[in-house]
Amino acid sequence: MKLRIVFASVALLLAASCSARSLTCVDQFVDGQPPAVLNQNLQKHTTLLCFNAFGTLFSGISRTPLWSAEHLTAERVEQAARLKRKNSFHAEEELPPADRSELADYAHSGFDRGHMAPNGDMPTKEAQYQSFSLANMIPQNPKNNQILWEGIEEVTRDLARKDGEVYVVTGPIFEGANLERIGGRVLVPTSVFKAIYDPARHAAAAYVTPNAPGMGYETLSIAELQRRTGIDVFPHLAAGVKETKMRLPVPEPHGHRSKKNRPFEINPR
Amino acid sequence: MASIKPYQNEEDSLAIGELTVENRLDRVSVYGSIELTKDKAGLQQAKELKAILDAVVASLEHEKSLLDHVPTKPAEKVKNPFG
Repeated sequence: MKLRIVFASVALLLAASCSARSLTCVDQFVDGQPPAVLNQNLQKHTTLLCFNAFGTLFSGISRTPLWSAEHLTAERVEQAARLKRKNSFHAEEELPPADRSELADYAHSGFDRGHMAPNGDMPTKEAQYQSFSLANMIPQNPKNNQILWEGIEEVTRDLARKDGEVYVVTGPIFEGANLERIGGRVLVPTSVFKAIYDPARHAAAAYVTPNAPGMGYETLSIAELQRRTGIDVFPHLAAGVKETKMRLPVPEPHGHRSKKNRPFEINPR
Repeated sequence: MASIKPYQNEEDSLAIGELTVENRLDRVSVYGSIELTKDKAGLQQAKELKAILDAVVASLEHEKSLLDHVPTKPAEKVKNPFG
């Protein structure tokens, strides 16, 4: 893992206030410990990027993040709700041109630029702008991104409101012998995960949805997620916490109140 | 009033209530939901939404040879490098 840290004087940071970013993102991780990528193929050619309100591990192979991690507090959710939301998707200039994804890669692809750390979780204007970096985006099916996935983001914020804080790690899953690629450069994930650790309950679990239309989702323990993704999202949690799946709320997509088309859990256990 | 230049870039994103608007070269995505309440805030939001839709309609009407269906570039199939 290559650790890319921006050394800049305060004056420089002030001059570029819109892109000013944290030198470290340890406060976004459980016990300051970032997710650990265990699959050696996934580890190759990765860059850790620290933003003001999330950290991201970016892969120069898929040209997507492998995870984006956030410490989401009730206060932060309140701050985020008060912000106006006009913004700009942009390529990540911290990454070398050969590694990063570009707006052109996604153009005419039919895929959304799906946030991993969501815009709706960002407590300041700077953090909000940073969340629109393509380093935080995957090619996401619009029907997934705009409906079910949005509902998962919403109940995650609810959990932070109710329990005071949660740690969240969101990322793509690339499964199968073959994958789709857009713009000749960016790999399309087959599924998307969102792992949540709730300190008040001392419990954790993850949502997994296909990167496809539909209202079906799975819930996994952190240990099951690790077996599926090759990533230990919360390395410092005790084995017992990782093995025990926390009960996760049913996603609540905006404006989808019809009984016919509600989110449903696949193979609930 | 915040608006977008429809079909002119892949950058613009804005929110009106819980509605998200994203500008693309081949589409404008509008998703989420909005309550246009019978009050000043409702009027403001209705005007914002109207301004965006007016810009979309004007842009499409201005187009000389509008297609029946805009094509997307098909994705390629590649070997999974992480497998």
